[in-house]
Amino acid sequence: MPAQVTQISAVTAAAAHVLCLAGLAAAHALAGRGALVSNPALALRLLVVCEAPVVIAVFSYLRRDRKSCSFIKAAARGLIGLPVGALLNAFGAIVLGAPVGIKYWTVTIYWSLLMSLFTFVPAACVFGASKIDWQNVLSHSMYVLDFYFTPTDADNYIISVPCHGAVLGAWLGAWPMPLDWERPWQEWPICVTYGAVAGYLVGMAVSLVLIAVHKRRVRAKSD
Amino acid sequence: MGAAVAWWTVAAVLLQVAGLSLFLYGFFPVKPTLHGFSGAESYRMPSCGPVNAVEQEPALPPNQLRSLYREVSGIPPVYDRLVLMVIDGLPAEFVLGRGGNPPSKEMMESMPYTQSLLAGCKATGYHSKAAPPTVTMPRLKAMVSGAIGGFLDVAFNFNTQAFLEDNLLDQLHMIGHKLVMLGDETWIKLFPTLFARQDGVSSFYVRDTTEVDFNVSRHLDFELVAKDWSVLVLHYLGLDHVGHIGGRRSVLMTQKMKEMDDVIRRVHDVSLQDNLERTLLVVVSDHGMTEGGNHGGSSYEETDSLALFIGHSVQRPHCSPYDQNEALQVDLAPTLALLFGVPIPKNNIGVLLPELFNSLTDDQKLRTLELNSWQILRLLQAQIPAFCLEECINSEDSLGIDIHPEYIEKKICHFLSKAFASHQSSRLQQSSDFKSAEALYVGTAVDNYYGFLRYASEWLSHRATDKPFYLLISATLLMTLSCLFLMGTVSSLFKGQSLSQAYHQSESHLDQRWHLDEVFILIGIFLYVISLCSSSFVEEEQYTWNFLTSTLYLIFLIKTVQSMLKGSNSTLVRRVEGKSFDANNFSYATNYELTPGKRDGYRLCTVLIVLIAGRVIRAWHQGGINWVHFPDISKSLAQADFSIVKSLQTISVLAVMTLYSVSLKLLRAKSKVVIGVWWSHISCGLLVLLHIWENQINTSLPINHNTTSIAKLFYAIASVSISSTVLASPWIFPIYSMEAKPASSDSNPVKDIDSRGIRNSVFLTGITYIMFWCLLQLLLQQPINAIPLLLIFLQTFSSIAHFSLDKTLHKQWVQVIAMQFLGMAGHFGLGNTNSLASIDVAGAFIGVSSYSTVLSGILMFIITYGSPLMLYLGMLVYISVKDSDDISTQRQLKLSYIVDKMVTLPCLLPLLINSVALTSYTTVLLLMRNHLFVWSVFSPKYLYVCAATVCTYVGVSIIAMTAVYTGAVFSFRTR
Repeated sequence: MPAQVTQISAVTAAAAHVLCLAGLAAAHALAGRGALVSNPALALRLLVVCEAPVVIAVFSYLRRDRKSCSFIKAAARGLIGLPVGALLNAFGAIVLGAPVGIKYWTVTIYWSLLMSLFTFVPAACVFGASKIDWQNVLSHSMYVLDFYFTPTDADNYIISVPCHGAVLGAWLGAWPMPLDWERPWQEWPICVTYGAVAGYLVGMAVSLVLIAVHKRRVRAKSD
Repeated sequence: MGAAVAWWTVAAVLLQVAGLSLFLYGFFPVKPTLHGFSGAESYRMPSCGPVNAVEQEPALPPNQLRSLYREVSGIPPVYDRLVLMVIDGLPAEFVLGRGGNPPSKEMMESMPYTQSLLAGCKATGYHSKAAPPTVTMPRLKAMVSGAIGGFLDVAFNFNTQAFLEDNLLDQLHMIGHKLVMLGDETWIKLFPTLFARQDGVSSFYVRDTTEVDFNVSRHLDFELVAKDWSVLVLHYLGLDHVGHIGGRRSVLMTQKMKEMDDVIRRVHDVSLQDNLERTLLVVVSDHGMTEGGNHGGSSYEETDSLALFIGHSVQRPHCSPYDQNEALQVDLAPTLALLFGVPIPKNNIGVLLPELFNSLTDDQKLRTLELNSWQILRLLQAQIPAFCLEECINSEDSLGIDIHPEYIEKKICHFLSKAFASHQSSRLQQSSDFKSAEALYVGTAVDNYYGFLRYASEWLSHRATDKPFYLLISATLLMTLSCLFLMGTVSSLFKGQSLSQAYHQSESHLDQRWHLDEVFILIGIFLYVISLCSSSFVEEEQYTWNFLTSTLYLIFLIKTVQSMLKGSNSTLVRRVEGKSFDANNFSYATNYELTPGKRDGYRLCTVLIVLIAGRVIRAWHQGGINWVHFPDISKSLAQADFSIVKSLQTISVLAVMTLYSVSLKLLRAKSKVVIGVWWSHISCGLLVLLHIWENQINTSLPINHNTTSIAKLFYAIASVSISSTVLASPWIFPIYSMEAKPASSDSNPVKDIDSRGIRNSVFLTGITYIMFWCLLQLLLQQPINAIPLLLIFLQTFSSIAHFSLDKTLHKQWVQVIAMQFLGMAGHFGLGNTNSLASIDVAGAFIGVSSYSTVLSGILMFIITYGSPLMLYLGMLVYISVKDSDDISTQRQLKLSYIVDKMVTLPCLLPLLINSVALTSYTTVLLLMRNHLFVWSVFSPKYLYVCAATVCTYVGVSIIAMTAVYTGAVFSFRTR
């Protein structure tokens, strides 16, 4: 539904991102500085607890099929999507080499819940079971260069770009782990979380820029 | 176009080989060494004749040899007993201070006895500079032989660690000294038969700082009262371990130094009891340590090792103990040799330390210098072939004194003739009464000798370590050029391909866009190249490869999911897929009628298998350098019952045999050759099983005739059946198929049938290669590696199946590179690291009854590069099942064209990737040539990179030759 799609204005997108950011900031304020290094499980738990309601609420509000689906239903999709996305993220992380020892289980679970909030839950809330939308968003991820350098749907940006940012940030965040600096933050999943959050923030900013550019282009075209 | 590509490729490879050999020659110079041991001839002036014309002297019994040496040398031995105490990793700074200042108060107080000896002028200490690599074994060799070994000496010395060059300990042993060694077992590895009594401690448990030293000191009570030994070697490892754990400023450091001081006090007390004072106590360290306690590089902190001498000949009335007395570590060898009356080791480049000879007369002192000069002169003659002393002296007289000689020969000549002339004149002066004049002459002679010795020593040591910069630059440029050639070839190939695609109006117009996996491969290779600049990433390369490979396959997974979603959405795509499914006649899954849903399921499963198997392989060996002690599956299996490992091996062998039978079944060829190969494979598998069962837990008996003959039988059967398969397989498949193909009525049936025959034969060859290769690996690899091998094998097959199930999903070059990534990840998954220590030497002697460096070298290569070579062999299977669109739409039947299409990319891309890695790593090595870890981290990795290059050449040539042979036979048959 292209008409509906363009309804998400730049202001709405910015508001959504600010709310998500507020969730992260609240968690940071509650945990205190350096909590991620000193007590990763606690910090990750706080992040998940603060971010989950915000993300689910915001993206359920932005759900795509407004007529057929109520806010509550979209939120329920998000709630189901949270553990499913966490499973997918945990699978990815473990395949990429995350440790599987028992002492890492709690942090891995919290980390993958957080990654699920960054990646899977927004899409689950917005798209629901719509195959076409999922396929679209995945194929956008497959043709990265085209996605960023040629115009596409504006509200794909609001979901995909922070998600790409989080995944790319987490992926890059894992690189310092094998270095022999013997710093506490090189432990799994601390630097990966730092990378993911940083990538998510950058992704939000980039998505806003892209949406603004896109709106201007659409306006210029319609003029 | 095919011929041009081939020529360019060959040119690039030749350039690469030339560049690589130039670089190796420049970076790892192999210095000429003298063989054999110095004897009585070293007390005579070296003659001008060829160096190797040494008259064989009869081996004398120790006592006669001792008196002979004493007679010809003209110097009585200064000491009879030697206590050589090595404190591993002790920086000289801790004892002697730095830059003329005494060490810190804390350090002074932690070694009270040693400091009192220094202050009382009863000991003399040197900052003896150690040459890199500052690790224990090469440093011990340098101390006892006075020679600086090249890097390759260490690297290629895999088969025996025993030290065979001329050295001090062997010389002492030859004249009847009895040797006792307590401490680091490196000494026992170096001199396995030399010591009358020995107790080796291992430096394996770096965390242990007390036990290692207690195990040495517990013998002291006994050994110090024992009178039978005359050389006692003590090697304390604790201080090095303290450094590794806590660095220089560790809290344990002062305590450990107190302990060492106590040992020095005890030994010195005992040597004082001996009234004649014939005991020399030498306290040395093999290397220093950085602030963080590491060593291996060439910084001042690491090379600043200690040489402290305590004995009667160093006592003097006045001294300033904290002067920065510089020496070289190699100086120990000639000094001790002359003090104990043995010939100086042949390859020594050290210069004797003057303060140790205070008790000798001036004449004797000059004689020691003369002996040292003669020995170094012999070594110089080996390095500069035409160098001759007499000619040199004669020419010197005629030319007069040239102050700035240009050539090295002239310069050496100049120093040498000056030294000998002044020695001569001091001799003449001896009879005169003027003591002051005599002292003056002696002083001049000593100065001249040292001038020569220091100059020659420096020149010789630079010969061993200097690197010709311009040679290295030009070698790197050659490699870069070759890399550019390959890049150009590949890019022209792609250009041609996209043109032909445009011509054919291929339905896959999507292919013009950049996919995520393609972008990722480029970024991944770039990141890998960047990571090579960091020593940590080189040490822990297994993480990099596993990370890149898993990420690539995760992207494949997402792509598969996406295409599944797409497939269920659009009917158009399904039709296209269905068409290609019909057109595709030969592949694993498509031999059965598959519904699209099932195909999707298989595609998903194959990627998941690769991913999960990759994770298990990663967990099998921890690998790397820094965290190698972390728990992993192989360590827990090693602790478990041996029968578990054995049953895992059995399972792997059986699985490989079953898979081969299944794949031959799929081929549906009932030829005699196929059945014969099948039987020979089964018998080989049984032989491997037999070998596994024969090998008992007790591996201390490596030479078991039964197992050796089993392995030999295996080699014979395997080689015969592989070569017969390769030769016969193009002949057995029909050129014209009986089956008609209803679906592809638009294309000419003859061509399709043709390509099927060639495909089947390549498939048979490829599958035979890879299956026999698996069995060979199961035979040779350590038992613990059986399951990882099977997993790599599964990964190979899953990838091939995945690629053949949907040919439009990934481009061909992505598939080839993905397989190469798998090979590299598997290489590290089998427990290989970038340190030479992880090479499996034990497996290199399986089935080799007599010692042969070449055979064991080949076997070692096969073991180390098992995984990349398996993937190269798998590439043959892959090209036999891959997309045939290009071939079937070709109008004319040209087999050379088919072969060209088949093998160009699978051959070129590995070459290109390897060339990129090689060139970039060469550049890194060139930039890092003065880095701390150049010898400990970067150079071993360079040897691995070279071996990987060889591995690529081997793999690519197997692929190319098989395909060309098959194509040639088919074109012959169609004619």
